[in-house]
Amino acid sequence: MEQIMAKIDLSNISHSYNPNDANPTYALNPFSMTWENGKRYAILGPSGCGKTTMLNIVSGLVRPSKGKILFDEKDVTNLITEERNIAQVFQFPVIYSTMTVYDNLAFPLKCRNFSKEKIDERVKSVSDTLRLSSFLNLPARKLTADQKQLISLGRGLVREDVAGVLMDEPLTVIDPDLKFRLRRNLKEINEQYKTTLVYVTHDQNEAMTFADNIIVMDQGEIVQVGLPKDLFERPKTTFVGYFIGSPAMNIFESEVSSEYSVKINNIEIKTNSNLSKLKDKNVKLGIRSEFINVAEKEGENTIKASLTRVEDFGNFKLLTANMENFIIKSKVDRELPISIGDINLYIPPEKCCVYENEKLI
Amino acid sequence: MEKLYTFLKYTFITLWTVFIVAPFLWAVSTSFKDFQSVNSKVTYIPWLDFEPTLEGWRVLVKSPARGGVDIVEPYFNSIFVTCTASLVSIVLGTLAAYALSRFTFKAGFVRNNDITFFFISQRIMPPIVLSIPFFIFLSTIGLLDSLLGLVVVYIVLLMPIAVWIMVDFFNRVPKELDETALIDGCNPYQAFYKVVLPNSIPGLIVAGMFCIIFGWIDFFFAFILTFTEVQLLPVKVVALNSSITPWWSLSASALISVAPLIIVAFVVERYLSKGNLSGALK
Repeated sequence: MEQIMAKIDLSNISHSYNPNDANPTYALNPFSMTWENGKRYAILGPSGCGKTTMLNIVSGLVRPSKGKILFDEKDVTNLITEERNIAQVFQFPVIYSTMTVYDNLAFPLKCRNFSKEKIDERVKSVSDTLRLSSFLNLPARKLTADQKQLISLGRGLVREDVAGVLMDEPLTVIDPDLKFRLRRNLKEINEQYKTTLVYVTHDQNEAMTFADNIIVMDQGEIVQVGLPKDLFERPKTTFVGYFIGSPAMNIFESEVSSEYSVKINNIEIKTNSNLSKLKDKNVKLGIRSEFINVAEKEGENTIKASLTRVEDFGNFKLLTANMENFIIKSKVDRELPISIGDINLYIPPEKCCVYENEKLI
Repeated sequence: MEKLYTFLKYTFITLWTVFIVAPFLWAVSTSFKDFQSVNSKVTYIPWLDFEPTLEGWRVLVKSPARGGVDIVEPYFNSIFVTCTASLVSIVLGTLAAYALSRFTFKAGFVRNNDITFFFISQRIMPPIVLSIPFFIFLSTIGLLDSLLGLVVVYIVLLMPIAVWIMVDFFNRVPKELDETALIDGCNPYQAFYKVVLPNSIPGLIVAGMFCIIFGWIDFFFAFILTFTEVQLLPVKVVALNSSITPWWSLSASALISVAPLIIVAFVVERYLSKGNLSGALK
């Protein structure tokens, strides 16, 4: 089959749902981004941050207020959805209830006048992957909610020639066991057919396990694009620090005290960031609870705190300690003997992130 | 307690059934009576209480020249006018309703809801208010006392019903369904007739049923806008009455007037109870 898969360029896109008002509010602030052919992307962010708007702009259901969309350098901004060759799966199952499961899966191919043999072959292949083969002749409305969602997903995957498959929280209604398998299936499909997959979710684990690249959004803004590891270790803003990881990143109000160190409550903490050029001396220090260790005695980069709570999660222990007005959370090995009371916590300088105005230095 | 409830339930249903069915039984029995059986004493059972006769029915199909009233032609006129007007109303009304449900209209202060209300408001007005404008309108375009004129007027009367029902119906069909069809490669027209319309059959049937009922039973406009050339069934049935009320032929004509609606009711009831709405989406 002819290779029509494409690189998708979003250039200076912004969108407002009330562009003609005196003070339009933007669902998406101006941004540019490129989605490489054949990769898996996850768009991650809280509800209402503009994820769905972004997908709808790419699929053509929403025309952006400003900016251009290019598929392989070809401007498609003014093309309607039908002409864009894109597949989209919505959060809730959408099925053609008057058709059988087979006709549902075949519909995108029939609309594009594929041959009967080709349709048969594709429907069979997709229904095998999604384990829908035994239902093909049933009316689609007779199926359960998660089977219906599989049909929605199947319609997205049945065409091999799409520029990309956009999925808007597609696995919300599917039970966890099947969810896990489907995510793996999607990965396999991506590896086999080199289809660009874009996956919107508010679940960080889903995003982390699925995507090569994660796009974190907040309030209509793209705050960070990167590999799961980068998002975890070097969150670009305090928002990403809070949003990614469980528990959220420890973030402390602090003051720059020398070229490489900050002070939290008069305790000097060394970092690996050069802070000499900062104008504002009030910064925030961020550190993942995973990187904070229990130290045997006080020393450099250790904080003395009082341990107030120990929660055993089975595979790790989560410590909650108070230091004056700060709360520090630390994830430690579950075998580590620990008791409530005073504790010394070591903060490794190489894992420290310093934020000026909520942005990473 | 349970037993009492069941007892009351069945009592109520029985009473209600009697209430609904009794007039029909009365009409059926009366339609087979003659002057003698109606006016002498109270009679119930054919052959025992009275001698049944087909005279009441025969009069309906005899031509006036031979002493009959001939409701055959008005009957078919009514079928033609009702069906044509309903069909046109459903087609136009469905398209209008889809547009009102899916697109945003702005004209001055007028929004989608205002347009929908404008359609319904046509039915809020008492019909008498519309009678003079309609009369002048039809006489101007030369369609007074004609089938086509009646069809035009009935479309005006029935379309608001179709729009009203279908807007509500389309609003309940999530727009993701249309969007999915677009993504799957339909153009907007195909998305409408290949995907949205098949999903809307229950709504279309309900709208169609209401159009047929309201078209079929209208007496007022049929009475005002026709004279001699064309007559519709309700007008003709009323015209049957005279100084000596012909209860037998009135009953017979009432029964065959109601017959199409009873058939429609049975067909629609079957279709709707198949659960076409269940599981359509989500």
